[in-house]
Amino acid sequence: MLAALVLALALQGQPVQSLPQEAPGIVAALTHETVEIREDFAGQELILYGATRGLTIRDEIVVVLRGPGRDLRVMRKERNFGIWINSAPLEFDEVPSYYAIATSLPLNEIATPEELANSGIGLPATLAITAAPTIEATARDVSPYLAAIARSGERNNLYASAQRGVEVLDGGLFRASLSLPPLTPVGNYVAEVYLFRDGRVIASRSARLRVEKAGLERLIFEFAHDWPWFYGLFCVVLAMLAGYVANVAFSRR
Amino acid sequence: MQIYLPIAELSVNIFLLLGLGAGVGFLSGMFGVGGGFLMTPLLMFIGIPPAVAVSTEANQIVASSASGALAHWRRRTLDAKMGGLLLVGGASGSIFGVQLFAFLRSLGQIDLIISLSYVGFLGIIGGLMFFESARAIWRRSRNTGRTPGSGAGRRRRTWIDSLPFKMRFPRSGLYISVIPPVAIGFFVGTLAAIMGVGGGFVMVPAMIYILRMPTNVVVGTSLFQILFVTALTTFLQAGQNQTVDVVLAMLLTVGGVIGAQFGARAGRHIKAEELRALLAFMVLAVCLKLGWDLVITPADMFVVLPHGEEGH
Repeated sequence: MLAALVLALALQGQPVQSLPQEAPGIVAALTHETVEIREDFAGQELILYGATRGLTIRDEIVVVLRGPGRDLRVMRKERNFGIWINSAPLEFDEVPSYYAIATSLPLNEIATPEELANSGIGLPATLAITAAPTIEATARDVSPYLAAIARSGERNNLYASAQRGVEVLDGGLFRASLSLPPLTPVGNYVAEVYLFRDGRVIASRSARLRVEKAGLERLIFEFAHDWPWFYGLFCVVLAMLAGYVANVAFSRR
Repeated sequence: MQIYLPIAELSVNIFLLLGLGAGVGFLSGMFGVGGGFLMTPLLMFIGIPPAVAVSTEANQIVASSASGALAHWRRRTLDAKMGGLLLVGGASGSIFGVQLFAFLRSLGQIDLIISLSYVGFLGIIGGLMFFESARAIWRRSRNTGRTPGSGAGRRRRTWIDSLPFKMRFPRSGLYISVIPPVAIGFFVGTLAAIMGVGGGFVMVPAMIYILRMPTNVVVGTSLFQILFVTALTTFLQAGQNQTVDVVLAMLLTVGGVIGAQFGARAGRHIKAEELRALLAFMVLAVCLKLGWDLVITPADMFVVLPHGEEGH
């Protein structure tokens, strides 16, 4: 009874589709549908609630949250005339700007790397998919470049993995906590939940999340991008005014 | 208390920014320099993207030079005619610099060019300033009583005097060709756009040693030119690259204005040549730090840069 109530709360705002009775299923909802970046934004915790139908002891749950794709250029530093210069650039399109994964067991114990690669789950598999056109276009070994992208994302807390970050509760309910760092990019996010049985995905579901600038942040950002020349003029006039005020305020003393 | 910067797109402690503004403002008030050469590397060091750091610093310099130029305008220590001519060169230099900046950014080499420009210019200017002030301190300690004769004696004729298109500058008491001021202005305008500095550290020596302007109008005229060149740079960077963060600029300005007042007071208790020696040390320290970063083996051998669409 209590479980049903929690389930009903967790599913608020997410239409529950009726699934065949016996088939294993999974549903999920995030605590937020939009995350607003305001002037005091310093990261945010998100909770994903979900429920499974027909969860057995052999089943594991994987939760993935991925951010909007960004085009990247990765360069290797090479020493020339004693100084380090960026060289040998490779371009990667639509690399996820944010990628967090939470699992009920360490990922390598849930499924084989081949199975993960096939379903595109996990950072290595995701990066490999985005790198496919680049690999086709170049004869070079791209794996150190992909590792660099992964390192850079981890440094900024934009790529994260939480082994056992999915908490399985009673009655087939589960909960995963994900954190958005201060550098969170704006855009459309997709949260995906996967139900694994015997190392294979048997059910999945996705939920959407939108990260957007709000309030003053949004006003300034839109001003700067929609009327860039007018914004530039505004910045200059404001600075001159500030200089004038400073001059008047301090020269009277 | 964290504040999210709308254009730089990251969250920074508001007191860190006010403190940076005040600290650099203090030094610039004390030494009478703009401080851009300190602020831009510091902004990049705390994680502001180079493009945003350079453009935003130009915006902050508008505020600080406006305040300084006004003071000189009131005291009539500003040669507006010469300033106007420097400005003609400066404006075209700024337009050129902003294009060059966008081009280098598209090649992925902007960080290197910024660092190299800093190391080169700061090294030369800091080195010259250091030797000059060391000599002045040494001379004073010997107490020879010789006065440095800048006004004494006729100026020697140089190649500058043989250039065409001469013009009279009553306030500076000069009759020289328009070519050197325009060329100096262009050069400084380009530097301002690429390095995120006002360029006073290049302009002031150039005005004294190349144009041979009287020292009392040099600082005011330089500030006048810097004001309009950085205003144009801000306008162009905002319009073309959308890299000016007005929130960041205003926080730095507030800190800077207050810091500069205390710095100016502190500077009065130190002798001029010692002040110059200190400034030279500071300039050389920034130069060495940036130079060191260019030669040491980086922690990560790869660099990941945004690509495609400029300014996100």
